[in-house]
Amino acid sequence: MSGRIAIGSGSAYADDRVEPAFRLAATGRVDYLAFDCLAERTLALAQVRRRQDPGGGQDRRIGQVVSGLANYLASGRRVVGSFGSANPDAAAADTMDALREADLAGVRVGVVRGDDVLQQVLAADLDLPEMGRRAGELRERIVCANAYIGAESIVAALEADAGFILGGRFADPSLFVGPICHELGWALDDWPRLGSATLVGHLLECGVHGAGGNFEDPPFRLVPDPHDLGLPYAEMAGEDDIVISKTPGSGGAIDERVVKTQLLYEIHDPAAYLTPDVTADFSQVTVAEVGPDRVRVGGAGGRRRPATLKVLVGLDLGWKAVGEISYAGPGCLDRARRGEEIVRRRLAGLGPAVEELRCDLVGLNSVAGGVVAGGPPPEVRLRVAARCATRPAAEQVVYESELLYFGPAGAGGATGSVVPLLGVTPAYLPRSEVRIETELLVS
Amino acid sequence: MKLREVAYSRSGDKGDVSNVCVFPYRPEDYGWLAASLTPEVVKAKFAGLVAGEVVRYDVPTLKGFNFVLTRALAGGVSISLRADPHGKAYQSLILDIELDAAGRP
Repeated sequence: MSGRIAIGSGSAYADDRVEPAFRLAATGRVDYLAFDCLAERTLALAQVRRRQDPGGGQDRRIGQVVSGLANYLASGRRVVGSFGSANPDAAAADTMDALREADLAGVRVGVVRGDDVLQQVLAADLDLPEMGRRAGELRERIVCANAYIGAESIVAALEADAGFILGGRFADPSLFVGPICHELGWALDDWPRLGSATLVGHLLECGVHGAGGNFEDPPFRLVPDPHDLGLPYAEMAGEDDIVISKTPGSGGAIDERVVKTQLLYEIHDPAAYLTPDVTADFSQVTVAEVGPDRVRVGGAGGRRRPATLKVLVGLDLGWKAVGEISYAGPGCLDRARRGEEIVRRRLAGLGPAVEELRCDLVGLNSVAGGVVAGGPPPEVRLRVAARCATRPAAEQVVYESELLYFGPAGAGGATGSVVPLLGVTPAYLPRSEVRIETELLVS
Repeated sequence: MKLREVAYSRSGDKGDVSNVCVFPYRPEDYGWLAASLTPEVVKAKFAGLVAGEVVRYDVPTLKGFNFVLTRALAGGVSISLRADPHGKAYQSLILDIELDAAGRP
């Protein structure tokens, strides 16, 4: 415990770039880097990789991260991340290998297990509210279930002097809440303070997304050097002393507008943001610019943490097929619609193997859904998407879209893809059903 | 006038729920937007995309609004067949809402 902390974001999800983290580490401004390696679907996809290869399913950037942060780790500064994804053991092995290769001896690695709750979900026959079904009814489709776990195990590993902590489905803000509580000496049942720590975690967990990414809308909103966005970090010495900034010299921006949009990103009721650590209250938060790329935040509150942990349950939903083909010039819209008609008639023969079929016209309604109206487009791309029970049916969907080369005139540029469709849906499990274990390894 | 001329926004997703936050560029527009940018207006705008309800949370300290849209993403990012399964574009679509400038301070 030092009474203050400088903590940066290292990553927003499994496919995020790694170089911005190395750049932030090299500034010497942060003592902690927290890597969020997961998004809603990522963990389920990793579970599929693990099924195909028992040594797979962990984050695939561990070697790169350790080697790129070798100096940072050697100086005793620390990394926390959900690198474990679907396979914390494999992630631990990768980490130990990488530490050895980087000649980093004596680094203590905390490995957190227990977020895999598949057995508990099935045994308790949990309700799956978004599916309108119970787990038992979908038993043969359920492939994985992971609980969002909180900061407790991270704090414990930091107290045991771990320099690199990895686990599976840590809740995104908890990756930051752990180090903050450890350094500021905050108790894990000090709810208002956990609200403040969660505010910081929430502002940083999305990486460059919270520092000017996904923000530009010319001419109303511009961001400097958007090709070179920098990662955000926080300096914090208490709940009333929090400043958000970003890698000096990088592109992007930390200003009032950027911080406010990130603050409400993926939040429902701002007075009750539920995490494994706390029911955070952001409804009274204040945001003020205090310097270039420096924003002071405060005013977060918190109440007792929820009694249940959110679980994401992965479901095997068959196959997803997408086929596309373009039409341009006068009458392109009519020809594309004619093409859609042909595909629908051809696919009707597949019967129930095509469980859901939708056709959109890219350039007209595929994203805007008709919400925004415009004049006749100079070109459109017919997009045929289907959820299929079998792979052959999915391949047929793509094939029929491609064969529109022989449909209405001028169809060009056919592309297609067939991928397993792995759905995730939430459930809620009592805390007592989740047993978290932490192991300490030394490189 | 279009909402885009006076406010900025961001959308996010959790399962089949989308949230879209909206902030006026000028803080003095907050009250006017509170009266004109109602959940009903937003629900009507997203009629073709959102099957559920629209709830608005007001955050006076930030001078902003958070719209929560249920059954908004055709099952959510992992299940939907839509071209934009996250609803990333919702933040732009909401800015197309037409507002009456008459009551604007």
